[in-house]
Amino acid sequence: MEESQGNSGNNIETTPQFMNSIADECNDLKKAYDDCFNAWFSEKFLKGDRNLSKCDALLQLYTVCVKNAMKVKSIDINEVEKEHLGTENERRKPS
Amino acid sequence: MKFWTSEYTFNHPWDKVVQAAWRKYPNPMNPAVASIDVLDRTVDEKGVLHTHRILSSKWGIPSWVQNIMGSPSIMYSNEKSEVDPNNKTMVLKSRNITFCSNIAVDEHLVYSPHPSDPAKTLLKQEAVVLVKGVPLSSYMESLLTTTISSNANKGRQAMNWVISKIDEELKDLSNTASKSTDEFIHHTKKSLDDITVSAKKSMDDLSSVAKKSLDDLLPSSSSPGPQALPKF
Repeated sequence: MEESQGNSGNNIETTPQFMNSIADECNDLKKAYDDCFNAWFSEKFLKGDRNLSKCDALLQLYTVCVKNAMKVKSIDINEVEKEHLGTENERRKPS
Repeated sequence: MKFWTSEYTFNHPWDKVVQAAWRKYPNPMNPAVASIDVLDRTVDEKGVLHTHRILSSKWGIPSWVQNIMGSPSIMYSNEKSEVDPNNKTMVLKSRNITFCSNIAVDEHLVYSPHPSDPAKTLLKQEAVVLVKGVPLSSYMESLLTTTISSNANKGRQAMNWVISKIDEELKDLSNTASKSTDEFIHHTKKSLDDITVSAKKSMDDLSSVAKKSLDDLLPSSSSPGPQALPKF
């Protein structure tokens, strides 16, 4: 599985072939799901077939991996859903 | 609070542009994007595709901002999108997760067929930047807005790059397919020729065997009596 190096250039040659997932262990699952989704989106969804279930199994495996990785990295997606600015959650300078 | 808006026209139809949007990364113009993951995806009863994603970027924060805010190695953002294939609109909304107690960068993108040319796609983009509770907040807002504008330009170049890549793939695919078809036709013709030759040979063999059998059955000098002929 190709991994993104820490490239600083805009060179086409240094662009990795696949986008990484939030955690390396999810990369393969991500690729399998993305390939399934991209094919479904072009060949089915845009042509009127709205049944998403074709990629469901892959999506399940993939998102479970991602959500576990987020827990490990302490990323709480629900944090961003809340409005912080203008509420008591807004971080203020110590007075 | 700072507002930023921009419009851009892609010289490609909407269907192609939205496919490219899902395949935008990785690309050489946005090397800072480190990861993208789907958290949820559904199609509602109206046939609209809803997607929730989390994106991360490796850099792009000016160092003096980091001095004030701290230096995260990775910035996360939350993106929700809707693709309505009936009305041909794709709407993306994103907000940063990192620093969200002090900074809110809300971006809103809409891809739709160009009102004056359905072979083209119009992108309307806007961002709202709000920084509170840290020094130089107004200046930080301006800087973030400038960064958004510069990233937007790169993003459009990236989209055009991805669209070209998809076109190349399609061309390769049809070349391979037509090459395969040519080979298939050639191969089939050869097989048919072979079969015909074989069949003809078999027929010839069959004729000579049949003739030989008949000759064997029939006595050569006299006309056959009824008992000499095999009963069928």
